[in-house]
Amino acid sequence: MNRRSRFLWIASMFAFAFLYAPLVIVVVYSFNDSRLNAQWVGFTLEWYRKLLEDEEMLTAAWNSLVIGVSASAVATVLGTMAGYAMYRYTLRVLPILVVAPIAIPEILMGVSLLIFFVAINLTLGLFSIVLAHIAFCIGFVAIVVRARLAGMDDSLVEAARDLGATPYRAFRLITLPLIMPGVIAGALMAFTLSIDDFVITYFTAGAGAMTLPLKIYTMVKISVTPEVNAVSTLLMLLTLALIVIASKLSPGTLRGE
Amino acid sequence: MKRLLCLLLLSSLTAFAKDDVVNVYNWNDYIAPETVERFEKSCACKLKQTYFSDNEEMMAKLAAGAKGYDVIVPTSNYVAGMAKQGWLQPLDHSKLPNLKNIMTQYLNTEFDQSNRYSVPYAMSITLIGYNEQKLKELGVPVGSWATIFDPKVLEKIKGRVTVLDSQSEVLGAALKYLGYSVNDRDPKHLQQAKETILKAKPYWAAFNASSYIRELSSGNIWVVHGYSNDIYQADLGAQKAGMKFRIRHSLPKEGAVLALDAMVIPTGAPRPDLAYKFINFMLEGPSSADLTNMIGSGNPNKEAQKFIKPEIKQISAIFPDEQTSRKLEMLKDMTPPQRRLVNRIWTEIKAQ
Amino acid sequence: MQGRRLHKWFISGPPLLYLTVFFAIPTLIMVLASIREPGDFGGLAPLLEQAEDGRRTLNLTLENYQRFFSDSLYAELFFKSFAYALLTTSLCLLIGYPLSLLIARSPKRHRDFLVLLVILPFWSNFLIRVYAWMIILGPQSVFTGALNQFLAWFGFEPVRLLFTPFAVIVGLVYVHLPFMVLPLYANLEKHDPALLDAAQDLGAGAWQRFVRITLPLSLPGVFAGAALVFIPAFGIFAIPDILGGTGGIMIGNVIKQQFLDTRDWPFGSVLSMVLTVVAVGLAGGAAWYARRARALA
Repeated sequence: MNRRSRFLWIASMFAFAFLYAPLVIVVVYSFNDSRLNAQWVGFTLEWYRKLLEDEEMLTAAWNSLVIGVSASAVATVLGTMAGYAMYRYTLRVLPILVVAPIAIPEILMGVSLLIFFVAINLTLGLFSIVLAHIAFCIGFVAIVVRARLAGMDDSLVEAARDLGATPYRAFRLITLPLIMPGVIAGALMAFTLSIDDFVITYFTAGAGAMTLPLKIYTMVKISVTPEVNAVSTLLMLLTLALIVIASKLSPGTLRGE
Repeated sequence: MKRLLCLLLLSSLTAFAKDDVVNVYNWNDYIAPETVERFEKSCACKLKQTYFSDNEEMMAKLAAGAKGYDVIVPTSNYVAGMAKQGWLQPLDHSKLPNLKNIMTQYLNTEFDQSNRYSVPYAMSITLIGYNEQKLKELGVPVGSWATIFDPKVLEKIKGRVTVLDSQSEVLGAALKYLGYSVNDRDPKHLQQAKETILKAKPYWAAFNASSYIRELSSGNIWVVHGYSNDIYQADLGAQKAGMKFRIRHSLPKEGAVLALDAMVIPTGAPRPDLAYKFINFMLEGPSSADLTNMIGSGNPNKEAQKFIKPEIKQISAIFPDEQTSRKLEMLKDMTPPQRRLVNRIWTEIKAQ
Repeated sequence: MQGRRLHKWFISGPPLLYLTVFFAIPTLIMVLASIREPGDFGGLAPLLEQAEDGRRTLNLTLENYQRFFSDSLYAELFFKSFAYALLTTSLCLLIGYPLSLLIARSPKRHRDFLVLLVILPFWSNFLIRVYAWMIILGPQSVFTGALNQFLAWFGFEPVRLLFTPFAVIVGLVYVHLPFMVLPLYANLEKHDPALLDAAQDLGAGAWQRFVRITLPLSLPGVFAGAALVFIPAFGIFAIPDILGGTGGIMIGNVIKQQFLDTRDWPFGSVLSMVLTVVAVGLAGGAAWYARRARALA
């Protein structure tokens, strides 16, 4: 290992430690035999047991997952199209429309989307949340895909076209695999944004529609028992499991082969 | 894969279409689970709650047009504004026989004459909560707002004090400390209140309306400006965690803010019939007492008194006597120019 | 070249349509709101006012903008938020670049796993993670204790970590780090190792290879990551609220207050419009500059 890689390794370890420090606390305290998340008292599985009996919490977690998958799926497709379009064609308005949802303060987005939904008589519920999430996730995917496309060698695509491939085949067999890591990165970001969103979800959720961030926010005052740590830990593991399963079902997609 | 996802999505959307559901828009942790169970059995319906942690959150959502709630539980000073904007339906008192259970001094408030739109639910007072043991150790006096505003007192508890993150509450407390009304909107008096706050601010740890309860229970924070319910629960939390100290209430002698929360039915409520059932049920003695027993809330219900735990009844901050009650004030709503003035002062305070 | 035009609309059509409906229209509502009067009870006053003689006038005003531009308090907060966002972006770049580089250089089979490892913590809940930082930086934590011990050896006073600007920056960097790492990784991953090998053969040292080959090639990724960190960080309010103590507020907090405390939607819309224009302007400016730099290179 030369000097350069050693530096990289040390710097990366520090970054990982930074990323995981709070997580260690979250997971460890989910087994803490104390109602307060303050000091370690003893080991217990009580909170996981309570979690499995808490219908509202489980529904909220399930809703978050469903919303997250749907919103990120649609946002990834639309965002990839947008990123590609921004690279390929010079449309003045698209970059602005894509970047602005990221810039607009969430409260403004939330309130104005609510006003809009009410004006068009859309029944508020989980569906309205998904629509709202897609809107602000598209930008993240588009920017990443655009960056991935930057400096791409068009000669491969031209060669394929010369050999008789339709634009669609050229895209599917050459461009898409090349930008796949960007698409996946965008999808991961979109999913993360969606399952953790609070402000926009707060305004666009219908009566009785509950997502995990909303539910946890309600518990922040008093009952932030380690039950919340337990659901956070489980949600993480569940999402990880989903991704691993998905990648096994379509091998090579993740790696862009 | 995509089809499976669509199916799952659709199934979760239609999940709550069928039953008799009453949608209540309420504060966090503001109904005891036992009460919910009993209600659901008595009406053979389901109760679905949506939560807010601040009246303004609720107002913002309603102002943007949110619908679908059958019952809302705002603080009474907001009822006047909500009614004037046409958001509430007048209540048919014939459908609320249990209204007679409410003590007369809590009916007919200035915000809702003859209870046209609202009926009382529960109360809380904004006061000071403190770590009894720590303050005794340090010899810090309680009983006045000076505990959080006087730099001489704050010296001993520097960095261990939090106040609420609410412009009306903090300015209200400062105004009371200076001898004015919490609703005083005279710019000169507000500037004085601002000076008082800025002098005390360096000693405060944070403006905190949510996690201060945990901080109190765990011993990180020793004095808070908070709601009486929260402080009661902080004490419960500390005891459950095996802490060696108790958390006590202190109702300052200068007076404090009283919040009377009420139940209303919005116009366009999907199930007003269930809404009336719910409200009438919550006006019953045992239901009202359940809440007080759970969170130590003030109780305006005559019939509930006999069901309330004796140790809670002894806490004078939750059940103030006649004399103390006269010093309590309810916050009034403000006009737009007043709101702008107050918010600018508040932004100045927070920006420094 | 008709087929080409068709493709253009086929590809850019759907996202354009979606964003127009679900973003542009709500935004227009808000632009309109910024020139309206606040309602008596909050929200917005009616758009059309009916005078006694039955005439209807449009109830519009530029007063809200006047208020913003005539009051230095808000401009100061904008600058402060700008500085915080810039610092956050720089730190994210500093911490995230080595990490992205390491992942991109790892063997293919490890890469996905490492990427997942980076984003996994962010599938727990935001509030819970921030509260965990409250514990780590709190007065009773091992970390704070150790740090103060260390400082005590050198004769320094113990410091408070929580409820300080330091805590806010830590929180901001933490929350935005994956949004720097992922775009950067997506870009670094496609760098051709052959280029670096060739440079090495020609005698270039490790640092030279980095500065003259890797770094320039990674600039689109750097800009993408910087945009996805700076823009959200500029307007955020939750972190300063929870970790900032008494002095932490940023412009995002003021905007939140307008909607959730003062009920002054027009003024809140003005602040939001200014924030959006500045953020988009900066992003556009950076992109324009990057394109120019590349064109001249």
